[in-house]
Amino acid sequence: MGVLKAEPAKVQDWATTAVGAYWRAYDIQLAIYALLLAGLGLAMSYSSTVVTGVNPLDPSSNFLRGLMWSGIAVIVFMAATFFDYKWLKTFAWPIYFVNLGLLALSLVIGTGIGGAARWIAIGPLQFQFSELAKILMIVVLANYLAERHDRLGSLRVILGACILMVPTWVLVMLQPDLGTSLVLAGILAGMLFLSGASMKWLGALAGLVIAMVPIAWNYILRDYQKQRLLSFLNPASDPQGAGYQLTQSQIAVSAGGLFGRGLTNGTQDALAFLPVGDTDFAFARLAEELGFIGAVLVFVLFLVLLWRVLMAGYRSQDRFGTVFAAGIGSLLVFQLVVNVGMVIGLMPVTGIPLPFITRGGASLISLAVGLGILQSINIRQSRAEW
Amino acid sequence: MVAPGIVDERPGRERQLVRFIVFGIALLVAVSGLTARMVYLQLVSGQTYQQLAVSNSTFQQAIPSTRGLIYDRNGLLLVANLPSYSVKIRPSDLPFSQRAMVVAQLSSLLKMDPADINTAIDGNPGSNFDLVRIAQGVPVATANLIAEEHLALPGVEVSVDALRHYTEGPLFSEVLGYTGAIDAATLKQLKSAGYQPDDLIGRAGVEDQYETQLRGSYGMETIQRDATGRQIQVLSTDSQPVAGDSLTLTLDTKMQQQAQTAVNWAMKASKLKSAVFIAINPQTGEILAMVSTPTYDDNQFAQGISNAQFQALLNNPDKPLINHAVGMQFPEGSTYKLVTGSGALADKKLTPTTLVQTHPYIQIGRDKYWDWNKRGFGAINIVSGFAHSSDTFFYQVAQMLGIQRLAYWARQFGFGAPTGIDLPGEVAGIVPDEKWKQDTFGQAILPGEAVQAGIGQGFDTSTPLQLLNAYAALANGGTLYQPQIVRQITGPDGSVVRPFHPIVLHKIAAPASVFTTMRRAARMVVTSGHTWNLRNEPFVVAGKTGTAEFGVKDAQGRLPYHNWFVAFVPLHGDVSKPDSQLAVVGFNEDANTVGNSATEMVKYFLQIHFGAKHDLRMFNLMKIGDFYGGN
Repeated sequence: MGVLKAEPAKVQDWATTAVGAYWRAYDIQLAIYALLLAGLGLAMSYSSTVVTGVNPLDPSSNFLRGLMWSGIAVIVFMAATFFDYKWLKTFAWPIYFVNLGLLALSLVIGTGIGGAARWIAIGPLQFQFSELAKILMIVVLANYLAERHDRLGSLRVILGACILMVPTWVLVMLQPDLGTSLVLAGILAGMLFLSGASMKWLGALAGLVIAMVPIAWNYILRDYQKQRLLSFLNPASDPQGAGYQLTQSQIAVSAGGLFGRGLTNGTQDALAFLPVGDTDFAFARLAEELGFIGAVLVFVLFLVLLWRVLMAGYRSQDRFGTVFAAGIGSLLVFQLVVNVGMVIGLMPVTGIPLPFITRGGASLISLAVGLGILQSINIRQSRAEW
Repeated sequence: MVAPGIVDERPGRERQLVRFIVFGIALLVAVSGLTARMVYLQLVSGQTYQQLAVSNSTFQQAIPSTRGLIYDRNGLLLVANLPSYSVKIRPSDLPFSQRAMVVAQLSSLLKMDPADINTAIDGNPGSNFDLVRIAQGVPVATANLIAEEHLALPGVEVSVDALRHYTEGPLFSEVLGYTGAIDAATLKQLKSAGYQPDDLIGRAGVEDQYETQLRGSYGMETIQRDATGRQIQVLSTDSQPVAGDSLTLTLDTKMQQQAQTAVNWAMKASKLKSAVFIAINPQTGEILAMVSTPTYDDNQFAQGISNAQFQALLNNPDKPLINHAVGMQFPEGSTYKLVTGSGALADKKLTPTTLVQTHPYIQIGRDKYWDWNKRGFGAINIVSGFAHSSDTFFYQVAQMLGIQRLAYWARQFGFGAPTGIDLPGEVAGIVPDEKWKQDTFGQAILPGEAVQAGIGQGFDTSTPLQLLNAYAALANGGTLYQPQIVRQITGPDGSVVRPFHPIVLHKIAAPASVFTTMRRAARMVVTSGHTWNLRNEPFVVAGKTGTAEFGVKDAQGRLPYHNWFVAFVPLHGDVSKPDSQLAVVGFNEDANTVGNSATEMVKYFLQIHFGAKHDLRMFNLMKIGDFYGGN
């Protein structure tokens, strides 16, 4: 690694192979599932905009902004598909440092709620680079692990992957963004596991992390983060404070019943009982308005999307593609389980968005980049696997 | 899996496949777990939570009714409702961590002591979900500011309330009372009657006595509210509020002002600590004027009195929060001789012409009971004895009656029991008899106590109103009326709910001749010069003075004293007729005047009331000095 390797043969392949041959390998299902999920996210954004009394067609409305981000995401998705993913291996290190640079920039000029430095304004839009950092780190780790696929039994490689993650992790924690740092850890674990790293060392590492919990509690976690964890363990201890969101979101979910109250008819969120009803708790609003049916639809869409993601990885004939798919899969699974788990009271409150559903341009663009790269991997295999 | 001939750069692929499968299974397990929880939340326990979601956002809220107005007997508005802004806190919406900040901000915005705000929140009579009243009568600008800052002030709400406005200020405070925030104990009792934790309730006077009528009944509406407790919309009106009834008092504002003027003058001229003046119509029991000083400003209460101001009133030794006319009892002194004299005449212990020898003092055991002039008045009849207020005369009459008959006649004149006036806090006074002495001290009445009881000293006490009512009965020929302060109750539609009826407590069991004799005696009090130049006034007045000793002797062996003058004005100047329509009592508590300041106070009132051209007040009698030395 570290040496710039141009791969002219591949470029030539791209130029000479018939377009149809590529597109036969394009996974149309993956695109459709992603689009359906994004559509649901837009619907929730519409509902939240209408309910708060804002005209959805107002240029500053969350809905219109979401629509615009979706448009950009589709373009980014297609662009990433056309882009030959093999160049990513070449540019892995520059990507790594660009990633660190953007995160450092967020810390310096970023703004955010409650003193956090997360958002950077790009024109009228705000962008959260820690979302993009997830994808960029997946690229970097995929390259790193693919290059060392034959040495995955060694502790050195595993520790190397961890050390590679540390600077990003520290920069994210400094924002502070507990949610993203947890997702990064989840991605790392998932990629190590799926790439076939030694279970012995992975187990030892997991043991070490658990042993670190008391230290993290005392020295790393901030008071509000501790408060959230405590109120998760006992929501009734502070129903108006940190436990409030938990209690209210469960009430919202339950109020949905089988068929839900209908789009824009949610009462809990509309009346501000859900403090962040269109962000981290968007699933609560969805479950209240679309009911059990809607929630299960979301689960099913995620399952089939994940199936396509993992298939893309399995199909990939080069190591990079497989490990990259493992990273995207880990990201989706981790965020799905932790976000929904939080909303329905199975997990503590952490600021982890639900992919596609939680409003947020950076999250959507990052997913488009990741899934676009997967499509790029799909269409650039020498032939289909099945 | 891998077709032959294709170079597979993926060694260890089998292990990886296993990992992918394990990952997939873990994913399915996790999503199944999430689904199971969704089934529980949305399908199994959905009903309970849906209820919770609804109760979260809908809220039953009282619609206040318009409190009834209060007028004087001539229809002059005494109490109005003014719309005003109130600031309230719903403690459940105020996170504890932000409380100090919110209290500090409110205290600077409302210019209130933070301690008062904290006391209000902690003294919250309702639950944490109920509003607590913090301030009322808040200026519009401040109210708007607080309403706009609702995000920075969680739990704080601004509402429009009707506040009581007492148009005459402190003039009627002791009678009207005031409204104030309901306290926890009262709320507990009245919750079923629809009282709210942030409610105002009559706390004294007529506002308290007629609370039920004035309040009307609150309506109920279901509103939808958001998480910060702010109202979104009214979903339904479950019951309409019914406005309270209005009251017309028996009081006459003009007479009240005249009484206040006379009292103010006496208070100032004699540096009095407290004084009472009451006027009544003896033919009906209607109270025409009632002044008790020191008093308070009921508007201060209506706008929300600060704790410091309230404590100052509460700890004032002269008890401004108590209406002294009905709420405190004092020895009657010589005014009580009406009871002794009337009783002796009715029991035929005396005839109007019976002469009784008076003395410088009478001796009972080793104790000497002196006449007030230390000389006696010779052999005199009841009229003369009353006119000169001879103590030794009435000591002997009391001995003739005995303590039991004396107590009987006292009760006949209304002493020893509340008059039943429609004001809160009335006390009963004391009429000592054998049973009372046994119950209170566990011993029999001593002979000395029995004679002292005949001149309104010793254990005898009554309220100024009781004394006035006894003389009103004298003036009307022996009917004891229940004094009334509210003349008429009018419904919100203008219909008369309760018209005025005089209420007769009882007829005093004495022949009319007894009252005629005693009225002549009362007139002679004035004409004999006992009340100095009152006889020179252009109106005819009859009455009785009293100097009632109380408390502990000073270094010279003298007791402090209260001054009384209770009088009535015969309608056509003829005391033989029971036709008086005006009886008054003046009372100066713990006076240190050389003369009877109460008589001068009453004289001044009558002069103003009847428009006398010449001012006959005797300022030298109002001076502070030794009453005993002056006589």
